[in-house]
Amino acid sequence: MNEIDDAAEREQPNVQRRRVLKASALAVATAGAYAVAPFYGPWRHNHVWSQTAQKKPLVIGLTMDASGQYAASGMDERLGAMLAIKEMNAKGGVLGRTIEAIHIDTETTPATGSRVAERLITRNEAAFLIGALHSGVANAISQVAQKYGVIYLNSNSSSPTESGKDCHRVKFVWDGNGTNFALAIVKNAMTVNGKNWVMLTNDYVWGHNTAKAMRTIVEANGGKIVEEMLVPQNTRDFSSYLLKIQQLKPNVVAAAVGGDDIKALRQQVVQLKMNKSPAWINNQQDWPDVYGLGPEAIFGVFGTNWYYRLDLPGVKEFVAAYQSTYPGVQIRVPGNTYYNGYMATRELLRAVERAGTTNNIRVIKELENLKVPARERMQDFDAYMNPATHQMQQTIYMATYNDTPAEKDDIFKILSKLPPKEVEDPEAPAACKLESYESTPTYEM
Amino acid sequence: MDFVVNLLPHLANGVSLGLLFALIALGFMLIVGVMETINLAHGSLFALGMYVALFVMAPKLALFPAVEAWYASLPLAGRYAVALALAPVFVGAFGMLLELCMRRTYGRDPLYGLLLTFGAALVIEELIRLVWGSGERQLALPESISGAFAIGDLVYARYRLFASGFALAMIVLLWLFLEKTPYGAIIKAGAHDSEMVRALGINLSRLRLFVFALGVALAAIAGVVMAPIWGIRPHVGVDAVVPAFLIIVLGGVGSLWGAVIAGLMVGMVVGLTGAYASEWSLLSMYLLFIAIVTWRARGLFGKKSVLDA
Repeated sequence: MNEIDDAAEREQPNVQRRRVLKASALAVATAGAYAVAPFYGPWRHNHVWSQTAQKKPLVIGLTMDASGQYAASGMDERLGAMLAIKEMNAKGGVLGRTIEAIHIDTETTPATGSRVAERLITRNEAAFLIGALHSGVANAISQVAQKYGVIYLNSNSSSPTESGKDCHRVKFVWDGNGTNFALAIVKNAMTVNGKNWVMLTNDYVWGHNTAKAMRTIVEANGGKIVEEMLVPQNTRDFSSYLLKIQQLKPNVVAAAVGGDDIKALRQQVVQLKMNKSPAWINNQQDWPDVYGLGPEAIFGVFGTNWYYRLDLPGVKEFVAAYQSTYPGVQIRVPGNTYYNGYMATRELLRAVERAGTTNNIRVIKELENLKVPARERMQDFDAYMNPATHQMQQTIYMATYNDTPAEKDDIFKILSKLPPKEVEDPEAPAACKLESYESTPTYEM
Repeated sequence: MDFVVNLLPHLANGVSLGLLFALIALGFMLIVGVMETINLAHGSLFALGMYVALFVMAPKLALFPAVEAWYASLPLAGRYAVALALAPVFVGAFGMLLELCMRRTYGRDPLYGLLLTFGAALVIEELIRLVWGSGERQLALPESISGAFAIGDLVYARYRLFASGFALAMIVLLWLFLEKTPYGAIIKAGAHDSEMVRALGINLSRLRLFVFALGVALAAIAGVVMAPIWGIRPHVGVDAVVPAFLIIVLGGVGSLWGAVIAGLMVGMVVGLTGAYASEWSLLSMYLLFIAIVTWRARGLFGKKSVLDA
C-alpha cells in the first residue's frame, strides 16, 4: 500500500505540471488567436496597422448612384473617380498611403444617400466622400458629412442651392449649376427665338432652382413664362405635356429635366416631330443622357462644362486614358459627368498632398484657395474655387447637335464658351452661410 | 367651348395611355388570376422582351456573318414583325423555366412565391446588364408606323396610334381566347377551382406552365410595344410592374375587363393631370387606387369574398 501511495504521491507533481502546461498552452493559444483574429476573421476591417510597417490605406467613399434616374451618369462619374485614384496610387498614393475606394449605391434617393454617408463614415472610416448627381441626394449626404466634419465633394449635382442656401463648410461643388448655365444660354435664346417660354421642370430641388434661375433671367429681359409644368421624377410618358405645349404655342421650351426622364422626353419629342419647333433649351445636358439616342433626339441648345473634342492640351490624352482603362464600356468617349468625377477626385488628392495631412480643416483651407489653370482643367479658361460658396467657377459651354461630325461620337457642336466671371451666380454668396471652422468637427483619418 | 375643344385631345390621349397600361397589366392579371401568384418578375420580363426584340431586329451572329448580312438587308417592317412575334416566344420559354422553379412554392405560404419572383426579377435585370450593358438603347421603327400626323393644329405620333390599336387587338384576342376556345375554358375553370379541374383529368401542372408562359409572353409583347415610347434600359421594368400591380388590384384580381377598365381609368387620370396639374401626374394613379379600393376593397370587378354579406 505504501508503495502505491508513494507512487501516487510522486505522480501528483507530474499531473500538476501537466495541468499547468496545458493551461499555459491554452492561454498562449488564446492570446495568439486574439492577436491574429483581427487579420483573418470576418471583422478584418478593424485592422490595427503597425506604424512601422505599412501605412493605413486612405479610404474614399464614393457616394454615387448605380440605380434609379441617374444610374447611367452615376456609373460614369464613378469611372472618372476610379481613374484619378488609380493614377494617384501609381505614383505611390497620397502621403505615402494607398487610396482605397468604397462605392455604395445611393439609388438616386436622398434617404439612401444619408444612410450611405453615415455607413461610409462610421463603419468604413472613409476619410472623404465624393459623388452625387441628384441634388437632393447631395444635400442629404452633405448634412451627414458636416455633422462629422468629413469633406464631401459634390461632383455632379447642379442645383444652385448646393452652393447657396444648402452650402456647408465641408462641401465643395464641382459642376456648373443651373444659374451658370442659364446665364450662358437664356439671353441668347430670347434674342434668337422669342420671348414666350414654357418650362418643363423636374419636380425636385435641382429642377425647381434651375427653373427659378431661368425664370429670373427671362423675366428680367422682358420675356414671359407662359406656363411651368412640373415633371415628377421617373415620368416615362410625356404625351400630355407635349400636347399641352402644342396648344400653348410658345417660342421656347426650357427643360430642366435630367437622367432617364430627359431620355424619354427627347425620344417622344422626336416622335411628334416637335424637335424643330418650338426652340428647345435644356439647361444642362449630361453626356450619358444623350449618348446613343440618335441625331434627331439631340435637339435644342444646352449647356455643358466639358466636351471630349475640345481642341485643348491634354484632352486627347485624357480620352485615350479613358478608352484604354475602360475598353468594354458602352459609352466609348468620356463626357462631363466622367470629367467632373475625375477632376473632383484628382484635386482633392492633390489638396491633401499639399496640406501634408488629412486633417479636414487644413484640407478645406487648401480647397478654398484652389486655382487650376485652364490647361490642367482642359477647359478654355482658368478655374477657381469661390471660397464664399465652395463652388468651382469654370468655363461654361453652350452647345447643340453637331450635324457635321468628325466621327460617330462627335455629336456636340460647341456654339460658345464663357469665362467663369460672366456666368457666376450673383446671389449665391449672400445665400450661402458656411459654418465656421470652429463649429465644424475635426476629422482626420 | 374653348375649354372643351382643348380638353378633347387630352381625353383621347388618356384613352391611348389607358390601353397601353392595360396591355402592360394583361400578363400580370392572367398569372395572378389563374395561379394566385404575384409575379414580381413581370417588369424584368417586360424589359427582357424589349432586349430580345432588339436582338431579333439586328442580331449579331458572329459565326454566321452571311446570314447576319442577309437578315440586315430585309425591310425594317418585316424584321419588326418578326421581333413582335418571336420576342414573346423566347421570353415565354424563359418564363416556363421560371415556373418550373416556382413549383415548390405552390400550396405554401404565398411569401415564398413572392420572394422567388422578386429574386428572379433581380437576376433577370442583372443578366440583361451583363449581356447588353447598362446603356440606353433604341428600337428602330418602320417608316409606316413612325413619324407624326396632324389633326387640326395638333400633331400626334403615328406610333402611339399603332401601339394603342395593337393593345386593343391584344385585349380582344385574349378575351376571345379565354371565352371562345376550350383552352380558355380550362384556364378559367382552373382559376375558379383547380382541384375540380385536376379531378376531371386535366394536368394541372401543364396548365400552370402554359398559363405562366402566356402571361410572361404578354409581358414581353407589352415590352416590345412600349420600347419606342419609354426607351430601353435594364431597369425599365420597374416602371411597368408597379402600374401593373396597381391596375390588377384596382380592376379586381382575376378580371380581364377589370384590368382593362382600370387601365383606362389610370390612363385617363395620368393623361389629364399631366396636362392640367402636372405635378400630380404620377401620384394621381395612386390617389385613384386609394379612392376606389377604399370604396370597394375587392376592386371594380373583383370576386366577392365568402365573408361578404
